[in-house]
Amino acid sequence: MQSLYVEGDSFMHRFPARSKLLVLAILGIILFTTRNIPLLSIGVLMTGAVYFSLGLYFGQAIARLKPVLLTILVVALFSLLFNPWHGAVVALLRLTALMLFAAAVTATTTISEFIDEITLLARPLERAGLVAANDVGLAVGLVVRFVPEILSRYQAIKEAHAARGIKVRPVTVLAPLIILTLRDADNIATAIDARGVRRHVS
Amino acid sequence: MSTRDLVLSALFAAIIVALGILPPITLGFIPVPITAQSLGVMMAGVVLGARRGAIAVLIVLVLVAIGLPVLSGGRGGLAAFAAPTTGFLVGWLFAAFATGYIAERLVKAEQSGLVQTVGFFLASAIGGIVVLYAFGIAYLAFAAGIGFQQAFVGSMAFIPGDVIKAFVAALAGRAVMAGYPLLPART
Repeated sequence: MQSLYVEGDSFMHRFPARSKLLVLAILGIILFTTRNIPLLSIGVLMTGAVYFSLGLYFGQAIARLKPVLLTILVVALFSLLFNPWHGAVVALLRLTALMLFAAAVTATTTISEFIDEITLLARPLERAGLVAANDVGLAVGLVVRFVPEILSRYQAIKEAHAARGIKVRPVTVLAPLIILTLRDADNIATAIDARGVRRHVS
Repeated sequence: MSTRDLVLSALFAAIIVALGILPPITLGFIPVPITAQSLGVMMAGVVLGARRGAIAVLIVLVLVAIGLPVLSGGRGGLAAFAAPTTGFLVGWLFAAFATGYIAERLVKAEQSGLVQTVGFFLASAIGGIVVLYAFGIAYLAFAAGIGFQQAFVGSMAFIPGDVIKAFVAALAGRAVMAGYPLLPART
């Protein structure tokens, strides 16, 4: 699975991940407390400048944002139909600015940096006995490892259906796919414990 | 959490991700392609139960946040949390938990297949539609600055598809229950 991280050497790349996430959180709070259109427009221009200075090609940069941008536009248009225009413009600017900065953080922070931050956030929960912070990395690794496995298993089930002349229907494919996948869980769990990956669990 | 529970949740998270990548399966009788990952969220609840189901969804949300394109259409990254529809994304967590909670209480091993399927359908519909839309609509009304009523009306267009998904989740949940039961898990 290809991450959305982009190699580069912009100032955002050199910024520590924690500061970027803090700035994003503060920006989110500021954006949602103001309804001032000029101020929000400046916000969009500034976050846009940050996002488009990361070294992505313009088309590529737009393509990454298209789905979210489209949702924001559709909702803003819908809002414009039934509400005073001021609210729709505020929502459009607010969400666009937030989206641009969020995308900039995503593009300049590696997965391991993110996992370090999440592990740090999970430490207090660990002390409360709710989660083991190191499990975050393990879980992420397991998913990335098993998505291709599931896709090829799906293909195999589909071919088995075709070979027997059975029509591919959601339930006839999903049930064996889930059962086969979950059956692996016992073996994987045994292997993880045998290697002492989660030392804290007895 | 036992290693087995962690692995079960992670593998189900992988299934939810895969559902966003797989080519759509069309239902034989209705021209509605089943791709959406909200089907995976309902199935996480009915197959794994409340706690493990919610953890599976939480893992998917972590993957989105750290910049992997795991949402359908290759979406991902923190920008996915800045859309007006973000309430539906975060609501997945509560939807999976509610679906699992209800399924754990309604469905018992000794019931007939039909009763189990109906139980799973109720769990999927209440968790995956009522609870999910409560979060989705509330955030949509707030973030987009449109009234609660309009957010509600605008979201209703997606209900029929979700009812079909709840039905598919119920059938899949019942089939998995017969072949590899993991419920009831109340520990």
